[in-house]
Amino acid sequence: MANKSVILRIKRQPNPAAKAHWEEFELAYKPNMNVTSCLMEIAANPVTREGKATTPITYDSNCLEEVCGSCAMLINGRARMACSALIDHLEQPIRLEPFSKFPIVRDLATDRSVIFENLKAVKAWVPVDGTYDLGPGPRMTQEEQEGAYPLSRCISCTCCMEACPQFNEETGFVGAATISQVRLFNTHPTGKALKRERLAALMGDGGIQECGYAQNCVEVCPKDIPLTKAIAEVGGEVMKQAFVDLFRR
Amino acid sequence: MASAASSTTAPAISHKIKEGVAPLRAGQGISFFLRRLHSLTGIIPVGAFLFEHILISNSTAISGPAAYARQVTFLGSLPLVFFLELFFIWLPIAFHGLYGLYIWYRGDGNVAEYPWTGNWMYTLQRWTGGIAFAYIVWHVWTMRFAGIDLHAYPSASFGKVQEEVFQPALFIFYVVGLIAASWHFSYGIWLFFAKWGIITAQRAQKRFLVFCLLFFFLLTGVGLASLAAFRSRPQQPIEPGMAAKVTQSAESR
Amino acid sequence: MAAAPKIIVVGGGLAGLSAVIKIAEMGGNVDLFSIVPVKRSHSVCAQGGINAAKNLKGEGDSTWQHFDDTVYGGDFLANQPPVKAMCEAAPGIIDLLDRMGVPFNRTAEGLLDFRRFGGTLYNRTAFAGATTGQQLLYALDEQVRRYEAEGKVKKYEHWEFLSAVLDGNGVCRGICAIDLRSMEVRTFPADAIIICTGGIGAIFGKSTNSVVCTGSAQSALYQQGCYYANGEFIQVHPTSIPGEDKLRLMSESARGEGGRVWVPKKPGDNRDPKSIPESERWYFLEEWYPKYGNLVPRDVATRAIFKVVYEYHLGIDGKPMVYLDLTHIDRKILDRKLEGILEIYEKFVGDDPRVTPMKIFPGMHYTMGGLWIDYKQATNIPGIYSAGECEYQYHGANRLGANSLVSCIYGGAIAGPASVKYAQGLQGSSDGNGCFEAEKKKQEESNVRLMNNQGTENPFKLWHELGELMTKDCTVIRYNKNLEQTDAKLVELLERFRKVNLSDRTQWANTSVVFARQLYNMLQLSRVIAQGARMRDESRGAHYKPDFPERDDKNWLKTTKAYFAPDADEPKFEFEPVDVSLIPLRPRKYDVAK
Repeated sequence: MANKSVILRIKRQPNPAAKAHWEEFELAYKPNMNVTSCLMEIAANPVTREGKATTPITYDSNCLEEVCGSCAMLINGRARMACSALIDHLEQPIRLEPFSKFPIVRDLATDRSVIFENLKAVKAWVPVDGTYDLGPGPRMTQEEQEGAYPLSRCISCTCCMEACPQFNEETGFVGAATISQVRLFNTHPTGKALKRERLAALMGDGGIQECGYAQNCVEVCPKDIPLTKAIAEVGGEVMKQAFVDLFRR
Repeated sequence: MASAASSTTAPAISHKIKEGVAPLRAGQGISFFLRRLHSLTGIIPVGAFLFEHILISNSTAISGPAAYARQVTFLGSLPLVFFLELFFIWLPIAFHGLYGLYIWYRGDGNVAEYPWTGNWMYTLQRWTGGIAFAYIVWHVWTMRFAGIDLHAYPSASFGKVQEEVFQPALFIFYVVGLIAASWHFSYGIWLFFAKWGIITAQRAQKRFLVFCLLFFFLLTGVGLASLAAFRSRPQQPIEPGMAAKVTQSAESR
Repeated sequence: MAAAPKIIVVGGGLAGLSAVIKIAEMGGNVDLFSIVPVKRSHSVCAQGGINAAKNLKGEGDSTWQHFDDTVYGGDFLANQPPVKAMCEAAPGIIDLLDRMGVPFNRTAEGLLDFRRFGGTLYNRTAFAGATTGQQLLYALDEQVRRYEAEGKVKKYEHWEFLSAVLDGNGVCRGICAIDLRSMEVRTFPADAIIICTGGIGAIFGKSTNSVVCTGSAQSALYQQGCYYANGEFIQVHPTSIPGEDKLRLMSESARGEGGRVWVPKKPGDNRDPKSIPESERWYFLEEWYPKYGNLVPRDVATRAIFKVVYEYHLGIDGKPMVYLDLTHIDRKILDRKLEGILEIYEKFVGDDPRVTPMKIFPGMHYTMGGLWIDYKQATNIPGIYSAGECEYQYHGANRLGANSLVSCIYGGAIAGPASVKYAQGLQGSSDGNGCFEAEKKKQEESNVRLMNNQGTENPFKLWHELGELMTKDCTVIRYNKNLEQTDAKLVELLERFRKVNLSDRTQWANTSVVFARQLYNMLQLSRVIAQGARMRDESRGAHYKPDFPERDDKNWLKTTKAYFAPDADEPKFEFEPVDVSLIPLRPRKYDVAK
């Protein structure tokens, strides 16, 4: 492999109705390059490897430090964030594709809004009375904080959903991220007021039962969130809830 | 430039973004019940039956045809045996198997892109389930409904099994079916504990996985030993006349 | 009773969401516009924490001390009454966030933990690991989602603000925005609008800001008649990690938790940093500023690093970099309090900062300047409010670390109710006299012009030039001659922009046309920064001129107010006295306790 250049193969699709095709780009190698820096370079000089003029690549991005969750795409076949995909660590030619399980917008940009709908469906919030001054929040031990914090770092990038064999149009599975948020809010002293509703929501079609425990979610998660643990814990809670509902309601 | 204005300000050819995966249908449907029932039937009664079938009943073959016949006689003597079989074995297996195939159909295996242990297990669970189901359907048919009725003639049991395992192709089918069912059940126990939230932490899950693997080896080992027992003895008689009828044998006890 | 007030909030970061929540709570209806899904807003990047004088460490801290630190840290350029109000509101804001479920770090007793940050001697900064901004944004995002589920908020994500719709009386009646997917230009009526569009980092090419922080909305409004205040005050963060696509922030909390900045004493010393003995390391911040040490305010630390690198030539390997060292701190403490930021360094550089000192260099980080607003967050155009980094009110000439999150939430919480009150006082509803149609047409035509332009200039390349130009002459050290040249070059870039040639002329999710529009606005706003800096012949906070090294209160204790002169196509300036009624002026020095 010539170490003085970077070769990218990018799947292009001008709009949702068009057919996809591949384009190849060659860039001069610089240290510390990542996939987003390559895409920025292509925007400034949108010419393919064969010298054909083309359009800049459309892709989602924002913070470029892996905390906003925008730039998720398939890189060499795997779901990950483009900003933290360092060129030095990737096999060339680098293959860039849009997520396969989300509706395509254009090129590498997909519509991942389903995750926000899911968060709505499980009421992923703490039901505060209002924003007026009601004094401090509930006390929490360091241990409780350390349990909540990792779950709270979920950036809604949807990598866990893309990599999940159970997430597709057939199942309409809610995905690991949302389940982990249920765990987060159900353990919060105030948030747990909605615990019943959240668990009931997760028993709906597309709910937690669709999980096949392939555990890809926890492997691809860029924030190392203990997703399988959260799913197991919520799984237990859901079963308890189901029994309570069966016998006590 | 003004002339171009009209063409571009005209409403753009608006494309529609596809619907994609539907959001969670909060609180709707019965798939939760079905999936959990599927999970449960895998352990009880299907798994429990497998446990009994391999570790208890069929292992008696290791002690020889007589012991084996006694076990079959005992099973056949259980009250309302047909209904026991129907409601605690056949229907649960049929549900577990058929719904399992439906689950398999709905998933999109992606072990090529994400070749990690858990994902391999996921894929394997589907294949082993499919193989085991095919094997079980065949096995139930040949042992229970075709040929000599073993409830009527328990002492023909050893021979009837032997007749199959002496055929190389069928013997391989036995071994494959045994391994597939054992694996499917062993990892199924692990899955059950994870999905029902009994063992949640990753480290604990890993420890439990080792236990389930050991259980798999036990099941497979005992099953193979039983198969070896069938093959290690000369072919026993199967003809109704040569085998004692169940009533007689029950009396003789 | 009149219908519920309809407010448009542009921008879904902390300030925008804070405003949305307040409006929804008051019964108003909100249309929330954001380029990215609001959960992906730039506020997520804030790392270290949020300031509030809760005095939970028995240090005798008070909101007055917070106020004093903020005003002093801002070199007395901020109007003092709103800053005082913000500092007084801060403890309540922390309580609110705590109630909303932000996983703030805790003490053994289960109370909020506080750490030290730059520019103060108190432990005043509440934090949630090293991702405080993310946690805060999520808390507000969740509350907004709740209101969205109740139908009180409608989100327009993947929409970009283009301009305000002003009626014949110069009153704002709504906005004009573009759908970034279908490219449809549409106008939206509202009783009032609140602009919460964040920073302007893209003007400097590479910065610590997110991609959407172009300042385009502020610039558009400035070109429509809003005052833009104190544009010349640009904060350069002393510790960023240089990268190909952006400068990633290394939070001030690294120093707050005991991180030390040093360089080898010998120029060109290229030994492994760990093998350099203590006696051969120069902890220049600790030596120059014994009282505050590594926690001097950002402008001071940045200039010190520049001095060490460019005057003493002591940068690591002769490159513009110094060490930020955490290796003397216990691994467990680092993981508990700083994991998020250490992970960033590890991920993007490849070294473990728990073992190897980090290499850092100053990077453009924040604008203290922004849309001019009054004490109720109202701009000079009736019906337009603003909150967050895009306005100028709270940080004077330099912002203290961990004060931005509080100013965003506080500003939004003032702007929201103020806009509702304004809306309720509106006389009837104006049909706008066709102003909606006219504005839409104007914006569509501007798109068509760009789309059809047959030129030679690539907008992305022009942007690179702009970034380099602004970073070189309009950041840490400023000379009048260079600033004049900069403005001349900006005029040149604006001229070249007319020859812009888009490589993408399609009508679907076209990023080029959107970027070109942003670039034009960046260029216009750059002139405000460059000219403002040229005029201010003094050194104050982040604005430093070696030729005028002292603060000049006699001539320059003034807010710079730029307004756009359409005929001249350039900024004009007015100056407004600063309200210093509460804390008397005193020199700003960090080598001794104040």
